[in-house]
Amino acid sequence: MLIGEFEFMSITDLTSMSKSQIEIRKEINQRLQKLQDEISDYCYQCAKCTSGCEAHKLLELEPHKIVALLKRGLIDEMINSDVIWTCMSCFKCRERCPQKVAPVEILFALKNMAVASGKQIPGNYTAMLQSVLSIGLLQDIKSVTTKNNKTVNRSDLKLPEISKPTDPNKFRMMLSKIAVEKI
Amino acid sequence: MGDLKMKKYALYPGCIMPTEQYAYEMSIREIMPLLDIELIELKGFSCCGEPIKSVNQMLTLSLSARNIAIAEKEGQDIFAPCPMCHLALSECKKVLDTDTEMNKRVNNYIAEEGLKYTGTAEIVSILDLLHDKIGIDKIKSKIKNPVKNLKVATHYGCHLIRPSEIGRPDDAENPQKMENILKIIGAKPEYYPEKLDCCGALLNANLPESALTKTGQKLQRVQEQKFDVFIDTCPWCHRQYDSKQTKAGETVATKLEVPVLYLTQIIGISMGIENEKLGLNLNLSPVDKLNIWGK
Repeated sequence: MLIGEFEFMSITDLTSMSKSQIEIRKEINQRLQKLQDEISDYCYQCAKCTSGCEAHKLLELEPHKIVALLKRGLIDEMINSDVIWTCMSCFKCRERCPQKVAPVEILFALKNMAVASGKQIPGNYTAMLQSVLSIGLLQDIKSVTTKNNKTVNRSDLKLPEISKPTDPNKFRMMLSKIAVEKI
Repeated sequence: MGDLKMKKYALYPGCIMPTEQYAYEMSIREIMPLLDIELIELKGFSCCGEPIKSVNQMLTLSLSARNIAIAEKEGQDIFAPCPMCHLALSECKKVLDTDTEMNKRVNNYIAEEGLKYTGTAEIVSILDLLHDKIGIDKIKSKIKNPVKNLKVATHYGCHLIRPSEIGRPDDAENPQKMENILKIIGAKPEYYPEKLDCCGALLNANLPESALTKTGQKLQRVQEQKFDVFIDTCPWCHRQYDSKQTKAGETVATKLEVPVLYLTQIIGISMGIENEKLGLNLNLSPVDKLNIWGK
């Protein structure tokens, strides 16, 4: 198989509504169902999560409402909303909930569902994913500027060679299996 | 002979530190051998997966597992300086050690690369390593130039202290290990109400302006409370507070001039290591206004 073609296939499988995504969606749906059945019942809407939410004041995320909407099964409405992408994963809601409900985990599941349903992935998540698929890392080595305006990189700073996947093909094969196989 | 007392860890660098936050890596590589820690270089590491958890959590789990498996293959424990990587690897360990079904699935994926997660490697963070493995007394014994009269604000980073259910190196609501370390090098860490506030870095993926606003809001409060220096341990947070400080200031209409150092840099300074070796000329915040090093 051509490498170029293979790279293209894996990113498609991971982020769009290809056939394999049906299985992924089934899996995420089960995860959400479980969260809906078991966890959202414990929530009594005290809103302690929202009072400490780092995204609340700035971006109007209200984690207790996310739990309430999940309880009512309004999953489609949430995955179509930009608000699920305002969470900055500080984990305060999960840490502080007196009922051990974890809105942050519900939000991860909803975002995963949005991606698997072929919704537009916001910002540069796609670029980050593409970079991981091609070099194993979120970004390649950057040159940086020192205080006295000199441009330097790892070797100028006498740092050893960076660690990356040694066999990129096998690495990509592993990642694409996650999207292609039944999970 | 000295090697006998050296404890070894595979250095798991992650992405942000080895591709742009060089000062963190340099200062780690300078201080660790002096604290009798030998860092082992391994080939083949990848991203831990945490930054793309919003896209596909199974991907995150599998990426973390393959990285742990690489160290396990060599019989090494892992030192993960980036709190985000440390959380991802710790969470992966917790899931794979307790969920046999998931363990089988993930191992099936990573077998593609000839890897197997066995659960034998210990995964330590920067705080575990400095505070608990090396220990306060040992650090104290290596201090040559204690810093003086330095009012310090600590920033732990969300992923270093939460969620405690996964097992984190310090308390979720009142972390003190950075303070303990800073006190023995002579600094004066003080509490401030915004201590646990998030830097916003993860919003860089889709809402970069909001990320900068979070950064600016916290630094503005730090500046108002007249702290001499802001100390962090996370390459994501440091990129916000140090590298992007000027831009962060614009979001809150304030000229921010807060010196920001990595914990490992200030320890290195007090151990008498040259500034250049600690990457101090890479800090873009006004660290030169600090009067803590030799003339």
